[in-house]
Amino acid sequence: MANKAILAGYRVIDFTQYLAGPSATRLMAELGAEIIKVEMAPYGDPSRAFPYRKNKRSAYYVQQNRGKKSLCLELKDERSKQVIRDLIRECDVLIENYAPGVIGRLGFGWEQVRELNPKLVMCSISAFGQTGPLSHLSGFDYIAQAYAGVTSVIGEPDRPPSLPMLAIGDVTTGVHAAGALGFALLDVHRTGVGQHLDISLLDCYFHQHEVNVQAFSASGGKIVPRRAGSHHYAVAPTGIFRGPEGYIMILALLHQWPVLCKAMGREDLIQDERFRTNELRVANLKELIALIEGWLQSFATDAEAIAALQAVRVPVAPILTVPQAIAHPHHRARGTVRRVSDRMLGEFDIPGMPLRFSGHPELPELQAPLLGEHNGEILSGLLGYDAGRVAELESAGVLVSSAH
Amino acid sequence: MTRKHVLEGVRVLDFTHVLAGPSCTRLMAETGAEIIKVEAAPAGDMVRQMPALKNGRSGYYIQQNRGKKSICLNLREPRAQEVIHKLVAEVDVVVENFTPGVMKRLNIDYARLSSLNPNLIMCSISAFGQSGPLSDRPGFDYIAQAYAGVIDMIGEENGSPYFPGLGMGDVSTGAHAYGAISAALFHRAMGGGGQYLDISLLDCLFHCHEINVQGYDGTNGALVPHRSGAHHFAVAPLGMFKGKEKWIVIIAIGAQWENLLKVIGCEQFKTDPRFADNAGRVKHKQVLIDAIEAWLQTTTSDEEAVRVLEENHVPVAPVLSVPEAMAHPHHNVRKTVRTVSDRAFGNVKIPGVPLRFSQYPEHLPLQAPFLGEHNAEVLKALGYSDGDVAALAQAGVLASEPLPASA
Repeated sequence: MANKAILAGYRVIDFTQYLAGPSATRLMAELGAEIIKVEMAPYGDPSRAFPYRKNKRSAYYVQQNRGKKSLCLELKDERSKQVIRDLIRECDVLIENYAPGVIGRLGFGWEQVRELNPKLVMCSISAFGQTGPLSHLSGFDYIAQAYAGVTSVIGEPDRPPSLPMLAIGDVTTGVHAAGALGFALLDVHRTGVGQHLDISLLDCYFHQHEVNVQAFSASGGKIVPRRAGSHHYAVAPTGIFRGPEGYIMILALLHQWPVLCKAMGREDLIQDERFRTNELRVANLKELIALIEGWLQSFATDAEAIAALQAVRVPVAPILTVPQAIAHPHHRARGTVRRVSDRMLGEFDIPGMPLRFSGHPELPELQAPLLGEHNGEILSGLLGYDAGRVAELESAGVLVSSAH
Repeated sequence: MTRKHVLEGVRVLDFTHVLAGPSCTRLMAETGAEIIKVEAAPAGDMVRQMPALKNGRSGYYIQQNRGKKSICLNLREPRAQEVIHKLVAEVDVVVENFTPGVMKRLNIDYARLSSLNPNLIMCSISAFGQSGPLSDRPGFDYIAQAYAGVIDMIGEENGSPYFPGLGMGDVSTGAHAYGAISAALFHRAMGGGGQYLDISLLDCLFHCHEINVQGYDGTNGALVPHRSGAHHFAVAPLGMFKGKEKWIVIIAIGAQWENLLKVIGCEQFKTDPRFADNAGRVKHKQVLIDAIEAWLQTTTSDEEAVRVLEENHVPVAPVLSVPEAMAHPHHNVRKTVRTVSDRAFGNVKIPGVPLRFSQYPEHLPLQAPFLGEHNAEVLKALGYSDGDVAALAQAGVLASEPLPASA
């Protein structure tokens, strides 16, 4: 018997939009949950307008929303609120990523929804969290990143900080939320009681400081985290080096430094007073970079230099561009890059499902919904509203749908 | 009956070291699981040597390993493998992050372990995954970042890429693994049985491309993602602007565009055909950067500039240094930054628990273990006698470090 999908039979009412929240429910959709995405009339999730677009369809939206049902409502209308209240009684999870306070003003704050459904798990995702002096502010990934001290450690020391051109914080926060939701569902299974999860971009970004926070604190402020361009500020050699063609990432941690010296044919450097310890290598970084880059230039190609380091198992990588990464045979072989088909956009590549379960090796065929595509199915099928009532809500503009 | 946390009663055998794996089991420890960390003799997890060091104790290790029990074994010894085989029958989850192939060579791979415990959930974390041409390569966070097309997206357009000064890929991968284990445990509780999870840094980092992959492929290569320094390559205005004192992040998309124009006194741009849509604003972004930075120079301070933009609902943030972030009142009120006390190190600040459960608002009191601290406790629970434990220690199968007198 084929295993039932992990979250099969679980229903989620999903008020999320943009990226952080939708990444959490994207993972849940891939695991088989029924996701009812509530979109605000008239336009729905603002990311429906994000690039790349074709046929009025956004590939950005499709990537994050495959496998979800769309229910598009005029949320301020009392009749919509009744629909939502009816739905909440039928759901296991409510997830939202409005600015704190908004969901409460709509009538669906934690204290309100737990009355409707005591087993409900509610997850709120926000930039700064539901409490604290910054909680009222609106924010996106890069805003929380700046407040988390992350942006300040990326870039050249004497230049402006540099913006990472992908929203690592949003997606990672969605993943933190998905993890917490799974365990909260396990808790409901054991205790019968739901709860509220408060997940923030700031917390999740800050969580990623593996060295900076404890080292600054524990050294009494002697180790000051700072941006250092292409190299690590506290570990050497660890950074980006110029190869014969492009740039190459090399990490030679403590035990790999002598291995790297041998690979370079410079065993004398192991005992060299300038490079004997990590601290000395950091202090003499410029000379160290010149030595390593000089050696790299002795190869005809980057691939040869990389192969020489791989042969002695010094961690090394070419700096792939996004198009090169999309085309890489490993990424293709594993489905790290995944080709999906959208009814309006046709076929295109998105990042694949990063969670791999041996019990569920097949990925489901999913489609991103058209705006309000499932209005009728949810109201008639799930909630038992009769056809007349659904038609009335449509004509009153409470229920909205569109052809893309 | 009160429960300690969501994972109370879940037991984990943890073969992880360095960062990606330990950050997964850190979250499990913080949410109530019993973690038995298996450290390889003689020295254990290599981050026990990583800075900051004090009293022979590593702040790096403490941050990721609070609340875990340590047993230290010479894993090449058959008698150590026997201990592992006995332990596996008593646990719910195994997590490991060796290079693929190592667990099999140690006779503790999934096929072997699941034959001892069919309900086992085992999660392997690696740089490139358990399959595919790169899978046997060793790798750290930044190696996978380079292969994921992430590093190439960070830096000045005409200069070298930059090295992000924190291990985002490792911690994010740990969170991905936590999510997958959570779903697998849930599935098992519903009667679904055990299974094997294959989580990689490459997959998880690649997963973070929200625009680059579909944008490049969807346009048939017309939109080429590229690094562009302090400003986004495809959205404007979005980037780092020079304030009166330091750098400020400003994002003005959608309705916020007009709010920003009002604040900086450039309402004429509203009808300027150059700025009619995002594509035009990207093309002419230097004009916008100049206008925004000129306004910033007229403010009395960065704090004042941030306040005015916030009042007008334009997303804005000062670029805080790590020490500034650690001192910020919001981060302290919410315990995003948290002070913990270690038995040997004393007090140290670490990032707090990013997962907040309303049923379990209290932090658990956790301590990072000394190497092999729980050897005897864990083995005796399996039925080994004091004499057996002493003999194994004598034979070098078990190793440990002395506890400080104060512990």
